[in-house]
Amino acid sequence: MIFLVLNKPIYKFKRMITINHLTKDYGQQRGIFDLTFDVKRGEVFGFLGPNGAGKTTTIRHLMGFIHPNMGSCSIDSLDCGTQSSEIQRNLGYVPGEIALPDDMTGLQFLHFVADYRGVTDWNRVEQLMARFELDARGNLKRMSKGMKQKIGIVCAFMHDPKVLILDEPTSGLDPLMQNNFIDLVLEEKAKGKTILMSSHIFEEVERTADRVGIIREGHLVTVDSVATLKASQRKRYTVSFSSESDAKTFAKENITVDGVNEKDVTVTVRDFQPFVAAMSRYTIVNIVAVQQSLEEIFMHYYGK
Amino acid sequence: MNTTLFMREVRSSYKLWLIFIAILAMYISVIISMFDPKLGETLDLFAKAMPDMMSLFGMGSTGATLIEFLSNYLYGMLMIVFPMVFIIMLANRLIAAHVDRGSMTYLLASPNTRRKVALTQMTVLLSMTFTLLLICVGITIGVSAVMFPEALAIGDFLWLNVGLACLLFALCGYCFFISCVSNETGKAVMFGAGIPTFFYLVQMLANMGGKLVNLKYVTIFTLFSPKQILAGEASAWWMCGALMLIGFVFFFVGIRRFEKRDLPL
Repeated sequence: MIFLVLNKPIYKFKRMITINHLTKDYGQQRGIFDLTFDVKRGEVFGFLGPNGAGKTTTIRHLMGFIHPNMGSCSIDSLDCGTQSSEIQRNLGYVPGEIALPDDMTGLQFLHFVADYRGVTDWNRVEQLMARFELDARGNLKRMSKGMKQKIGIVCAFMHDPKVLILDEPTSGLDPLMQNNFIDLVLEEKAKGKTILMSSHIFEEVERTADRVGIIREGHLVTVDSVATLKASQRKRYTVSFSSESDAKTFAKENITVDGVNEKDVTVTVRDFQPFVAAMSRYTIVNIVAVQQSLEEIFMHYYGK
Repeated sequence: MNTTLFMREVRSSYKLWLIFIAILAMYISVIISMFDPKLGETLDLFAKAMPDMMSLFGMGSTGATLIEFLSNYLYGMLMIVFPMVFIIMLANRLIAAHVDRGSMTYLLASPNTRRKVALTQMTVLLSMTFTLLLICVGITIGVSAVMFPEALAIGDFLWLNVGLACLLFALCGYCFFISCVSNETGKAVMFGAGIPTFFYLVQMLANMGGKLVNLKYVTIFTLFSPKQILAGEASAWWMCGALMLIGFVFFFVGIRRFEKRDLPL
């Protein structure tokens, strides 16, 4: 009895975004093929893939801009293809490419979007503008990419939506603003919002996401928790020495060396203790963490 | 309909609207000032000397009354072509340009349905086109009253404009349909402007008479006939009804397609 009561509603309740065998074939292996995954209520989901992998195509289905050849997707139990205007009531969207009208100032545009959506709380818009240090008084036509991105972000968050779909939201933002954005995402997450955020860099989503889905050439490669991916991640560092001879002797220590280039040695680290011990015997000029490409992350993930 | 969107579109296109009104006001004044009841005979002679040239522009007979004069010189070409160009430009801006530039994203990433967006844009197109026509009618009546008091049969003149309104409605429907189904502005302009212009050129040839007169069956401009409207022939109103029907069908199909199709956003 308890089983019957709990089973169905919770099953429905737990999932906010459901993508079910979604297929859109554009020919020549372009498109997305048989994509199935879901984003749970209150979860931040990182949607990762190299450029052209199908991230934006998937998101366009969720927005109801295009219709699948096969399969379906839904948000909050509403079909994305036929009930998109209802979905949009509680959805904020940052498009991958921000296209704004060129005959308005930023402020006029924000007022327009607020009125058009029926947003009455202008305070929130002002808070968002202050957070991103956005001076929207200028003409949209003359704004830099970063400024336009900020306008796009304000538009997506202004109506305090329950679900956020963010297509490479930090592109064009400087590192300081990227951090501001991550803080905003974490705040929204704390408020229980469901967030799907696409990116082509793992590091960009690892601070916010609970789980990550990786897509390549239109196929879903893996869905896993960030913790698992991080644990399986290889940590690589490039250590710079004051002389080439030091670099050469260091390379012979009990460590995994990927390559030596003049005074620089690139090392893969599994266990930090021997690595640190070895380094303590030399004069180190610099240590740089090597960022891994997505390919490397999941190649390694599958290599194990 | 979404009022915010309606206002925004009107604000971004009113300059275009004013320019067309200014051009038409100028032509209307010039043409009316050319009217001279006595000169009618001289113009007739002119028409007899170069009948092809005059009929090419729909100016077959010059007419002795002011309304006949206007229906030839103003409603044969200027009052058709200028509003037509305005409709082509505006219809393209309202849907296809938004899709092409990507600003449609903002219109659809909102609780407004595609249908609501399209109906709002349709309302913008129709209200701007018909206010343009109304203002031109006002200007014509005003200028006539100043230059030739009592000369214009206003009742007949208004009927003439009802006929023109039907033709413009059909053109709005067609251009809006093209705008709804196009992904690129280039294509939208090519079909949106190309086909009406082609029809108009066919109309010009059909006006020349002779064997070419049969060409009138391939162009929708034939459905607006000032001569038949002024003569009070019943066929004129059947033709106007056909124009309205064409307009409705194009609006309906265009909006339906826009609701269902994949958008490159």
